[in-house]
Amino acid sequence: MSGTIKKILIVDDSPIARKMLKSCLPKDEGLEFHEAGDGKEGCEKYKCISPDVTFMDLTMPVMTGYEAIEEIIRHDRNALIIVVTADVQMKAIKTVLDLGAYMVLRKPLKKEELQAALIRAQDTLQKV
Amino acid sequence: MMDIQEVLTGEETEILQELMNIAFGKSAADLAQVIDTYVVLSVPFIKVMQVTDLPEYVKGHVRDYNKISLVEQKFWGRFRGDAILIFSSGSGKELVKMLQHEDGAGCESDPIDILESETLMEVGNILIGACVGRITELLKDVVTYTPPVVVVERNYYDAIAVNHFDPDKTAIVLKTDFTFKEGDVSGFLFLVTSNESIKWLKEALRLFLEQYE
Repeated sequence: MSGTIKKILIVDDSPIARKMLKSCLPKDEGLEFHEAGDGKEGCEKYKCISPDVTFMDLTMPVMTGYEAIEEIIRHDRNALIIVVTADVQMKAIKTVLDLGAYMVLRKPLKKEELQAALIRAQDTLQKV
Repeated sequence: MMDIQEVLTGEETEILQELMNIAFGKSAADLAQVIDTYVVLSVPFIKVMQVTDLPEYVKGHVRDYNKISLVEQKFWGRFRGDAILIFSSGSGKELVKMLQHEDGAGCESDPIDILESETLMEVGNILIGACVGRITELLKDVVTYTPPVVVVERNYYDAIAVNHFDPDKTAIVLKTDFTFKEGDVSGFLFLVTSNESIKWLKEALRLFLEQYE
């Protein structure tokens, strides 16, 4: 993994949350979007497409975001996973950062916050 | 039972579900600042039904509880309805223990039933206030609340006033369930809003989504 962000994976069980997130991302930079509706599908897509950045919800059916982060980090310890969650309890934030998430953003997303996170992720990506 | 599609479109239902998710996340975080616990959240669920079907619907979710405790608050603004927070049997006493542990002292002179009622009222106030407050804030509304009504450790039909709801109304039920990681506390939060709010709600949901288009 090195260079610029091209592939983005969005893992959230809510289609509307995925739509809201996509609307906050830059549209003219040729980004390639992939989506998954739960943690299990997210892990499968991660292994298949190797995204540069993954946006991950936590409260999901089938497989939670916590479990998905664990599995993805086990598969790729350099994975850049940005958690986007409504669960803003301090223990939740600490847990996902301990699991290896790159950062946590709170729902509802603000365009500026998301774009700042993407710039930070881009910097990290270039250093790896 | 009425079809949800007759009242809310699929997209409106999804937005409402996401708003409930965001709002209850805020409730849990607010509560976690008072009690050192982690509240395990679930994916919220939205259902539209005739108000007369509501008591049996709620009963279906609490059938594993031999008794329940309940905190109820009405809220009104352009978004109006009832918030009903139902705890499993024993949750009230467990919350008393957790809160006494937090402040290190407790109020051992107070009878346990008064402590339990006051604790449920306090926890209910936090969870309901933060959740309803956040939903209405996101939808650019302001609501006021009635004081909470607390019912401690009763059989379901004694706790829920079956005649309490206007039978001619349609209810949009927003349900989420929760479990505390530490301590044996679990329950459901139901927000029940009726036809009076539906027209406003549909427009508010449209405006909310417009920010993201």
